[in-house]
Amino acid sequence: MPAALRIWGRHLLILPALAVLAVFFVAPYLNLLVISVMTPSPRAAYLRILTLANYTRLVRDPFTWGVVWHTMWLGIATTALSLLLAYPLAYHLARATRRLRAGLMVLVISPLLVGVLIRTYGWMILLQDTGLINQVLRALGFRAVPLMYNNLGVLIGLTHVFIPFMVLAIAGTIQNIDPGLELAARSLGAGAWRAFWRVTFPLSLPGVIAGTVLVFVLTVSSYVIPSLLGGFTVLTVPILVVRTITELFNWPGGSAFAIVFFAITLVALWLYLRLIGRAARTA
Amino acid sequence: MVRRSERVWLNIAVVLVYAFLLAPIVIVVLAALNSGAYLRFPPEGLSFRWFAAFAQSRSFTRSLAFSLRLAAIVTVIATVAGTMASLWLVRFGGRLRTTLRLLLIAPLAVPGILTGIALLIFFYALGWGKSGFAGLILGHTLICIPYVFLIVSAVLVRFDLSLEEAARNLGASAFTTFRRVTLPLIKGGVISGAIFAFVTSYDEFNISLLLSGVGTTPLPIQLFDFLRFSFDPTAAVAGTISIAMALVVVLVTQRLVGLESLYTGG
Repeated sequence: MPAALRIWGRHLLILPALAVLAVFFVAPYLNLLVISVMTPSPRAAYLRILTLANYTRLVRDPFTWGVVWHTMWLGIATTALSLLLAYPLAYHLARATRRLRAGLMVLVISPLLVGVLIRTYGWMILLQDTGLINQVLRALGFRAVPLMYNNLGVLIGLTHVFIPFMVLAIAGTIQNIDPGLELAARSLGAGAWRAFWRVTFPLSLPGVIAGTVLVFVLTVSSYVIPSLLGGFTVLTVPILVVRTITELFNWPGGSAFAIVFFAITLVALWLYLRLIGRAARTA
Repeated sequence: MVRRSERVWLNIAVVLVYAFLLAPIVIVVLAALNSGAYLRFPPEGLSFRWFAAFAQSRSFTRSLAFSLRLAAIVTVIATVAGTMASLWLVRFGGRLRTTLRLLLIAPLAVPGILTGIALLIFFYALGWGKSGFAGLILGHTLICIPYVFLIVSAVLVRFDLSLEEAARNLGASAFTTFRRVTLPLIKGGVISGAIFAFVTSYDEFNISLLLSGVGTTPLPIQLFDFLRFSFDPTAAVAGTISIAMALVVVLVTQRLVGLESLYTGG
């Protein structure tokens, strides 16, 4: 084989993955952008007439903003709650002995591999009005509490799904922090709480940022949990977009909504990162 | 040193969060094995009647078979393409390395439901229509490649390139070197990458929701339609199968690669 051909031959390795991504990932997203400026039509998928009406209609509609705000609120609440629950887990995991850590990793990763649908079903058994939790409450003489088909149920389900992501993001950074630093702070007279807040937590911030960004993005775009645990009472952007596309067959409108929401998410993340940056500088 | 009382509080918090993480999963298995239609305390006794109901339900068995077939095909494509890509990136990436790595992982970073919508509209533009088996295969492959790529890369980073050079210097062809030297050394990564791909495809929901059609309904979509109107424990049987699979995957990956490499990157 001539040398030139051999050098080109090795680049064939990347070709299959690259081809799949270019044709079935990059191209469809570009296509989505194009469709979003076409004219919707009841008779065809869309008319090839350029328009910005899909965007202006969205921006003017207060209903859209209500749904966007609700989705953002769920995202922020879920992110905060999963950070609160995941941090102790990550800290414990990073400081555990090697053997224990191997076992605990199984517990953290397994839920990730059980389909979202299955876990949601588990929550439905626990949270429904005749579910286990309410059975226990009734047996203890309390009144049943509506835990599902409302925001609370959605929040529980979402937090549950995203804790492992948060743990994985944070545990990596904590493991790289020298435990000696915390010990030094303690021996210089800092209490446990103070040593944690002034030493360990700031050093684990890169992991916290990565985890919160990841969880927020995944939360605001999740579909299964809000639709099953929220019933018909909780309306989020993904649910509305899917409905616009599969039930109303308004592809340009749905595409525009998806793109606007994606942009809003990016702006929210940018604001968040700036805030964190400012807080880190003043601290 | 951390004082004992602080340790105790941390341990209590940790145990509670683990309980929260595992609760719905344990509950699904219990519901599948419980004889009653509702899970009650005390449980009404052990029974396999829901397994029988699952086996007799045509819509469930058909979509289970479809999901397994789909996952098998996707696994083969994603494993081959993902392994090749990580072999290339670790060796010849050069200046493009960072960009290509980002592109390869991108399908995991963007919302799955958005990818599903983009693919649905794109396939329509190509004239493929809905309900295409090929469309589902491609959509799943897209999100399985990143997993294979990440896991195989984690193993390859630890790999000593001079072993390959030695084989080449001793006269082995590129293919023989790969088959006799490289592959045996990265086998663990490839196998766990393949298993991850299989489970990811088997459990995939977002893309399937938009691309599935009549006769091409994967199990998660079947379950979704079922759970919207019913809590019947037949669904718990499907869940138990999925949970058993997940457990096997985690234990095998732990043995072959070590789960820690998933966050420390090798």
